Amino acid sequence: MIPQILTIARFTLIESLRNRLLLLCFLLAAISFVMIEFIGELTITEHRVTQIAILAAFLRISAVVLVTLFVVSSMVRELHDKTLEMVLAMPIHRGSYYLGKLAGFLGIALVVCLVFSGVLLLYAEAGALLVWSVSLFLELILVVALSLVMLLSFSQVPAALTAVFVFYGAARLISSLFLMSKAPIMAYTGPGQAFMDRFIALLAWLLPDLQRFTRTEWLSYNTASWDALLPVAGQTVVYLSLLSFIALFDFYRKNF
Amino acid sequence: MKFSYLQRERPITDVPRNIRYLLVIALLLQLFWHSQQPPVTARAEDLPVPLSARAYVLASLGEPVTAAKLLNLWLQAFDNQPGTSLSFNQLDYHRLTLWLDTILELDPRGSYPMLVAARVYGSVKNPEKQRVMMEYIYTRFKQNPGRYWRWLAHAVITAKHEIRDNALALKYADALAENATGKQVPYWARDMKIIVLEDMGQIEAAKVLVGALLASGEIQDPYELKFLTDKIAALEEKSSKKRQTVEK
Repeated sequence: MIPQILTIARFTLIESLRNRLLLLCFLLAAISFVMIEFIGELTITEHRVTQIAILAAFLRISAVVLVTLFVVSSMVRELHDKTLEMVLAMPIHRGSYYLGKLAGFLGIALVVCLVFSGVLLLYAEAGALLVWSVSLFLELILVVALSLVMLLSFSQVPAALTAVFVFYGAARLISSLFLMSKAPIMAYTGPGQAFMDRFIALLAWLLPDLQRFTRTEWLSYNTASWDALLPVAGQTVVYLSLLSFIALFDFYRKNF
Repeated sequence: MKFSYLQRERPITDVPRNIRYLLVIALLLQLFWHSQQPPVTARAEDLPVPLSARAYVLASLGEPVTAAKLLNLWLQAFDNQPGTSLSFNQLDYHRLTLWLDTILELDPRGSYPMLVAARVYGSVKNPEKQRVMMEYIYTRFKQNPGRYWRWLAHAVITAKHEIRDNALALKYADALAENATGKQVPYWARDMKIIVLEDMGQIEAAKVLVGALLASGEIQDPYELKFLTDKIAALEEKSSKKRQTVEK
């Protein structure tokens, strides 16, 4: 089983190189560098802090978008080219296929994470950047697993991408939304408000709290500590398991 | 140089003639359409009321520090709108303080809003607007004297030499002496009250403050250092011009 997983992972990585993903990564890194140098010229004070804050947020969202697009487009191609059917016709478990693809995509996420962290190394303190980069990689692990779930569920690029980005946005904002629902500016006690409050509370239970991940102030103000990674790593393990079992549940039920 | 991707394409003559004509007509239609549109005119916009800090947290996908830094730049550049330029005098300063509050709420560690309050918006040649900014700095100072003392020190100079209100300058200098008691607050800041009472000339006083800020070593940011060094140079130039005028 392990050799099968490794083979699938290896071919996924090779595919990413042939798709010039690395080139795209470096292009994004170069664009972000130019953009941030320009922004640096606009500031009167807090020059470095401003550059880091904007660059870190830009690279974080770029990494998420890039990895999501690659995972979804790669899996869709497998479905449309019937590669998946060919692989499944061999004596390979669907679980092995899923784990192989997951491992390959995680390798790609690691490459993206390393390239983007390299840009930040020009501005941020190395210790804080290491913590931030580990957190970004953990975040990308969830993004990869989420993209696989959505693609296996919807099988269509627009639907899968929309679902991933809505889910990701909600997971980033759920803490803020929950706090806002707990302390509204105008108190309103109608049934609609009660329903929304409960719905947001339910979402807070179901979604991973991505607001704790990859925090910009870790880099801007050097507040990163390895302790902050513990809840992040815990959440990643728990939610990766949940997403993987959802994907496998769906994958084993699918007819090709 | 070979453009292989061009060679892979079929020749233009393979495109049906109708399609080619219709393409040209469509392009001309677009040009005609644009020529019929009313010309775009620059219109200065008023500073809007800021949304709540939570709204900016949501808009930035939970990145309050990044939102604060982007709002800093947006606010700083608000006087330069597309095709037009506003003077800071035209801005609604009460609304401006709401923006500075929002930015500080998003990023309490940041000092950008205080710097622009003191040295950008507080430098306009309009005493009423300067008063609004200095009172803003004073209010913020009372909330956290250890953090905001250096901007109140600037407010003392502004109140004395630009607004020309000795009572106001003395009020700020008093607040500095009484509340800025932390070890990080230098001697010269706590003793600004003496400077106010000694009634120094405007340029000299500004030079003292900027020079002392530089000498304190507290400012690490190279851009702020450059800003202050330039300021010193400009003050020196003004000072020498003034001396030459007096000698003549």
